[in-house]
Amino acid sequence: MTNSEFRMTKETQSSKPECHPRVWQLRHSCFLILSSFLILNSSFCPAQQPAPVPAKKPATDGKVWGALIYATSDAAKLTGSAEQMPANQKDLPARLGKVFAPYTHFEVIGQHLQDVFREYESWVVPSRDLFLKIDSKGPAADGGMNLHLQVWREQQVLVKTDAVLRVGSPLFIGGPKWRDGQLLFVLELQKK
Amino acid sequence: MKTPSDENHDLIRWLDGEMTAAERSAFEASLQNDPELAAEAESMRHLSESLKAHLPAEMPVPHADFFNSQIQVRIAQMEAEEAREREKAVASTAGWLSWLRMPWLAGAAAAAFAIAGLVWTQNSSSGRSTILSTYTPNPSVKAQVIENTEAGATVIMLEGLAPIPAEKKIAGFKVHRAESDAEVATTTLFDENGSVIAVVSKDAKGQPTLLQ
Repeated sequence: MTNSEFRMTKETQSSKPECHPRVWQLRHSCFLILSSFLILNSSFCPAQQPAPVPAKKPATDGKVWGALIYATSDAAKLTGSAEQMPANQKDLPARLGKVFAPYTHFEVIGQHLQDVFREYESWVVPSRDLFLKIDSKGPAADGGMNLHLQVWREQQVLVKTDAVLRVGSPLFIGGPKWRDGQLLFVLELQKK
Repeated sequence: MKTPSDENHDLIRWLDGEMTAAERSAFEASLQNDPELAAEAESMRHLSESLKAHLPAEMPVPHADFFNSQIQVRIAQMEAEEAREREKAVASTAGWLSWLRMPWLAGAAAAAFAIAGLVWTQNSSSGRSTILSTYTPNPSVKAQVIENTEAGATVIMLEGLAPIPAEKKIAGFKVHRAESDAEVATTTLFDENGSVIAVVSKDAKGQPTLLQ
């Protein structure tokens, strides 16, 4: 029996066909390519990553209201700002008048109601020209709050201060002169 | 018998010129009898002179203004704490009514009246916002703190600020809420309708920048 006759006999006896070495080589290459593709796909495909955890709201120590006010003695010189004084600040112009005489007209240019974050800095930005950075230093007696404040005029810090802010007792900051009047910053701790 | 640490101590005192004349004579005599000690003394003397030659006698404190302001903050905080303690002590004293049974009722009543007045005054001032310290990095700017009882407000007057040019338009925002992203150190400002007004971030120098 020749070799070819013997192979034919074996093939008829067994149900499994014998593969040619080239076929085995091809199968091996295909397996490697497929494995690589699967590994890469599982590593980089965003669809298979876990869904992002929703951001947790940061802890706060309280809330402040900040406003940029334009003070002038001449009603005709007001800017015509559309901002309205909040309902709980109706007596603010009268209070400002007692401090910043001789100005008689006080116009809200911008305002900002801001949470005071416990762990992060907070920004009170009623205007891009004059704004405030707040760092909480924890609660104070009588429901007040210990704060570190920085008043910024664009990229220049005008004053840094450590203060205790209490509800119903606003902090007025007399800022730079503008036109025929002056810009004022008001900061008040809000009731919880 | 002197131990090595005693000798070192004497050596340092000799180098610093802290010995009396008698002590110095005795020590210098011991230097002549002890070559090892003499060598050490010479070595330390060279080291001391080298240090004195290369280091200034006084060094300026870095950021002295900030350092001083922090001391003032601490002093102010301590004073505020002491005031609160005194206030509590006075309040507890005022609560006692046992003086009603005392024979010196009139005098005690007057004293109690005075104390009650003091407590009332202190309580009425404790409800106000207070400024513990101020610091103006620009030396040409001064901050003056005023307690205005009539307005019921605390005031910081900034004097020496350069005026804003009259032609400059000051635009205001109405910020309803803000979201901080600690990872990228930005704060996004939103209006009442939830639209983004501006984003506050900081540049490489730590100065705030507003992006609109």
